Amino acid sequence: MILEATSPLIAVVFSVLVGSLLMVLVGKSPVQVFGVMFRFCLGRADSFGTILFKATPLIFSGLAVGLALRAGILNIGVEGQYLTGAILAAWVGFGVKGLPGFVHLPLAVAAGMVGGALWSLVPALLKVRRGAHEVISTIMMNYIAQHLVHYLIADVFMDKMQMPIPGLGSARVRTPLIAKTAMIPKVHGLLALLGIALPKHTYANWLLPFGVALAVATYYLVWKTPFGYEVRSVGHNPGAAEASGIRVAETRLKAFVLSGTIAGLVGLSDLLCYFGYMDVDFPKGYGFTGVAVALLGRNSAAGIVAAAFLFAFLDRGAEGIQALASVPMDVIVILQGVMILSIVVAAEVVGRYARNLQRKEAARG
Amino acid sequence: MSSLKRAAIVLLAMTLLVSMAAGCARKAEEAKPAEQKPAEQAPPAQAPKPEPPKKLKVGLVFDVGGRGDKSFNDMAYAGLEKAEKEFADKIETKYLEPSAGGENREQLLRLLAEDKYDLILGIGFLFTDHVAKVAGEYPNVKFGLVDGFIADLKADSNVRCLLFQEQEGSFLVGAAAALKTKTNKIGFVGGMKIPLIEKFEAGYLAGAKYANPKVTWKSEYIGTTGDAFKDPVRGQELTNAQLNWGADVVYHASGASGIGVIEAAASKKKFAIGVDADQTLTAKPEQQPYVLTSMLKRVDVAVYDTISLLVNGKFEGGYKIFGLADDGVGYAVNDINKELIKDIEPKLEEIKKKIIAGEIKVPFDKPTLDEFLKNLK
Repeated sequence: MILEATSPLIAVVFSVLVGSLLMVLVGKSPVQVFGVMFRFCLGRADSFGTILFKATPLIFSGLAVGLALRAGILNIGVEGQYLTGAILAAWVGFGVKGLPGFVHLPLAVAAGMVGGALWSLVPALLKVRRGAHEVISTIMMNYIAQHLVHYLIADVFMDKMQMPIPGLGSARVRTPLIAKTAMIPKVHGLLALLGIALPKHTYANWLLPFGVALAVATYYLVWKTPFGYEVRSVGHNPGAAEASGIRVAETRLKAFVLSGTIAGLVGLSDLLCYFGYMDVDFPKGYGFTGVAVALLGRNSAAGIVAAAFLFAFLDRGAEGIQALASVPMDVIVILQGVMILSIVVAAEVVGRYARNLQRKEAARG
Repeated sequence: MSSLKRAAIVLLAMTLLVSMAAGCARKAEEAKPAEQKPAEQAPPAQAPKPEPPKKLKVGLVFDVGGRGDKSFNDMAYAGLEKAEKEFADKIETKYLEPSAGGENREQLLRLLAEDKYDLILGIGFLFTDHVAKVAGEYPNVKFGLVDGFIADLKADSNVRCLLFQEQEGSFLVGAAAALKTKTNKIGFVGGMKIPLIEKFEAGYLAGAKYANPKVTWKSEYIGTTGDAFKDPVRGQELTNAQLNWGADVVYHASGASGIGVIEAAASKKKFAIGVDADQTLTAKPEQQPYVLTSMLKRVDVAVYDTISLLVNGKFEGGYKIFGLADDGVGYAVNDINKELIKDIEPKLEEIKKKIIAGEIKVPFDKPTLDEFLKNLK
């Protein structure tokens, strides 16, 4: 029992050991590198704020993937869904003017959710009506989203108010600025009440508590409601679910679109708290990381939140060891991959071993 | 059982959070929150012994593609390297590569600023907003920004925008392409479809039409994201398509993707024109005879220049423009392509003089290109 409870911890320790091996191979002192990494991540207020900020999109992304997974759907399309969500939210943000903040911000967030939902509706319908496999259709939808969003940014919405000297420098490829009323406030005030002073230039915002609340809500939805029961039945055994009177197609459609709706929130932390516009530099890859987050978190609400923080921690650590321990970027990317892989493997191995042990004990007793 | 596991995960996450929070809280007590103890940031193994003449610290953050693109980023690195060699006893340098878009760039700039760097260089226009923001918070740190334009800078600002007139250099290599083509067909491969790269395209096409009115062209872009600057496979495909259409000179402005462009052209024994660096010298030996010339964009000069100003205590904010007149852009002549372009060099020099004198107004985007072409007729 103790072994099982500490399995995540063992996994992290194991990944540090494997990472150390890699550091030795590239001629760095592992003690120094990991020393810098942990001191940097755990000992600085700005690292704390940055980790909170980096975890936020991953929580939504992990929850979106996780919810679909419950219904037996592998939603690889979170990537495209959050881009369409973000561009729609941006459009509401800069296109609508004169609303007070308490209307404008929720409207922009809702627009993000609608954008994600709409983009997931296509593969969802293709799946339940025509049986098109969602992995293929969502990957294709990702490509379409990526280029559609670029087209919208570069050719339709591009901010014409930027004034570089003609022929010198160049206009940024970005949308007009989003109105202040649609920007998400930071959580600095809240944390100050708890005695934590975050530096001004970190961007932890209210989407984080919202994401944690959403994690609790999805837990409730999946485990405590009739709809959640249907979703799980369909995910486990669609045939049996059908036989017991559950409408499989309808349940799948709902779960898929709900997943897309959550996916629509992924990009909003960056969009509405950090950038204030959407440009060609908008972060990519949250959708794919979300798959890893959901799997690493074993698709439990708490696990997803924890995994999101772990990824954020590694990401912030990467900034630290690059800037302060001079580890080259390529090695860092390999290090991150190796560490995540060993965490997954170690958690699995230790968990299984512990379960076997328990089973034996139970048999004996 | 599974609830136990979940409890464990939650516990772990909470310990992590609490220890982070505790770390911050402690910090808040010890010192002002925004300020960090320098001793904690400098890795022990790296910190040099405190010598009496303090070295200036110069940091550089790369653009998409990073080192090894044999083009834009490597040029910046060359400038940094040269400065390091020249001012070895006066400066120490460091370079970083962003891992992802957005906030990551800002964090890297900020980490350098907090680490008491004296000059921080952002390579690429994607740094525009990030440099503007961080520079505002660290008025005592100097910043250099390549390709980016920040409004309202003055000589006493702490930001120096290093801007290039790429269209002028592109005009010359366009003329070179049009004078060298046998099929009267030329190609252009751009990286990411953004106004910056359209400057290269506009200058190139205008120069070609100016030097040879019979010329026609195909112009393609690799993609719409930053990845378009590091996709040599796609660069090769697009180039092959243009060569099959009949083009025999292809110019690229696509960063590391251009490696594929040069490879495609060389394997069909047609000409490629390099960009940013003198890419004859970075190409493989068997490809070198097929690199007609390169549009030089002397990012290395801009980087070196900025560092040397700092070292000499003459750093000035504002805008520094690199054009044909001061050899900030141009076309490459080296031992390998010397013979190749000997016959067209007088013509190129003549055009160059006209541009510098202002007799030719080089277009820099689609509308000005259209106007230029209309006036040619």
